[in-house]
Amino acid sequence: MSMIEICDPRSGPSAAVHSAGGVASLLGKVVGFIDNTKPNFNHLVDDLAEILLANHGVKKVLKRGKRVQSIPAPEAVYSELHAEADVVITGSGD
Amino acid sequence: MTVCSTAFETLGRSQARALGCPDLPLAFVPHPFGSIAREKLRPVAEDVAKQIETVLAAKARQGAAASAAATKAARAMRMSVPDDVELLHCMFMDEGIGDGLPVIPPTPERVARMLKGTLRAPDEVIAALGPAYGLATVEHIAINAVMAGCKPEAMELLISIVDAIAAPEFNLQGVQATTNPAAVWAVVSGPVAKRVGVNAGTNCLGPGTHANIGIGRALRLMMLNIGGATPGVMDRATQGQPGKFSMICAENEDDTPWQTLGVERGIAAGVSSVTMVGFSGTLNMNTHSKEPEDILRCFSDSMAHAPSNDYWCGGEPWIIFAPEHANILSAAGYSKADVKQKLWDYSLMPASRMAAKDMERTIRTRKSELGVITADTLLPITTEVNRIGVICAGGPGTHSVYVPGFGNSRSVTRAVRDPG
Repeated sequence: MSMIEICDPRSGPSAAVHSAGGVASLLGKVVGFIDNTKPNFNHLVDDLAEILLANHGVKKVLKRGKRVQSIPAPEAVYSELHAEADVVITGSGD
Repeated sequence: MTVCSTAFETLGRSQARALGCPDLPLAFVPHPFGSIAREKLRPVAEDVAKQIETVLAAKARQGAAASAAATKAARAMRMSVPDDVELLHCMFMDEGIGDGLPVIPPTPERVARMLKGTLRAPDEVIAALGPAYGLATVEHIAINAVMAGCKPEAMELLISIVDAIAAPEFNLQGVQATTNPAAVWAVVSGPVAKRVGVNAGTNCLGPGTHANIGIGRALRLMMLNIGGATPGVMDRATQGQPGKFSMICAENEDDTPWQTLGVERGIAAGVSSVTMVGFSGTLNMNTHSKEPEDILRCFSDSMAHAPSNDYWCGGEPWIIFAPEHANILSAAGYSKADVKQKLWDYSLMPASRMAAKDMERTIRTRKSELGVITADTLLPITTEVNRIGVICAGGPGTHSVYVPGFGNSRSVTRAVRDPG
């Protein structure tokens, strides 16, 4: 088969790569939520907050949100959760 | 970590990788999660709580993954491919490159010719395109332009297009990854339209004009090959729409009675520009009326539909006025600002027309803008009158077009450089 050389039209991800990390136990940890405003996610956050506090030893839950699903949360939300939470949970999908 | 509905696992994993966190822990809820009755959510939450504990502990045991600095701009890689367009087409399909249609092979010689359409260096980074945030260098733009069949004269227009869609307010990430039929529309203003041959007249949104199809297709190829919006993976459109192949036109500056969009957006008269719009379809509005108020009332009726994204989130609707309609309005003394005000007034929609669930999210989403919203509230289609987009394009005929916005996107205008 005859071959030719072409330029690759693709350009891969450019972001710096870093690890998400983990926590061995939720005991005594602060868990932050960013409600993505999709239907039912607010209820899931409410239920998870109760369950994590009652049954998983979580010390504190911070519930934060954003205006609509497809735009980022305000920068202040990220700053606060970065400073105060051990784990931050958000949602994806429907 | 992220809680992901099962149908969106590929998006969740791809997005985490693209944003530089490939080992992001995920937990899952059944899809469609939003349809589960409130009283049945508790067992789901109990399961998710267990998943959270388990995956975070597993991640802690596994330890940190290797980290790496952000990728710097680099010249495009070279590929060895079959010298046969049918075999190349099959190879591109297998590798998920392109839009599904055959392409012109971007040989180094063709790319070099395309780069003659700009004085910029090939490795200049114009933008990172979401959701994969690949770097769009001038060279990568040229490669995709070759594949789409563009001419070198289109290069500076394509560069401005890429720069515009990467603006934060455009929300390319949302446009590309949404389940909505969101696509990207380019409106070209000023001398570049005629220089490059962008059609502003008859069938300007249809086939047959080389520049319209080539430039629109090059943009889509970049959104796929650089932005990473692979259908079914990071592009999660429920159906999508044919405008995702190409959607570009010029303003009909010969026949418009109004100020052009470029000038309206602060670009000096005689300077070329392009305005990028995130939109979700087109609707033919055919009226033989010669009465300005009738025309505007009927168009507003077309805009005011209950499941519209523009109403629940305060979006950005557009009208492409046929020259005949625009000139009827102008002859009766209606400026573009007058037209926008009338469209705003006549398209006010009672919140009660919405489904209860959609009214709930409207109450939450537009609270800071509108205050308390009740069933009797007359909802404006967008957040301010001037966010209703109005241009004149097309040929003879009594057809204007309603272009509903994607919703969470703001149009962006950029000047287009002369090629030098």
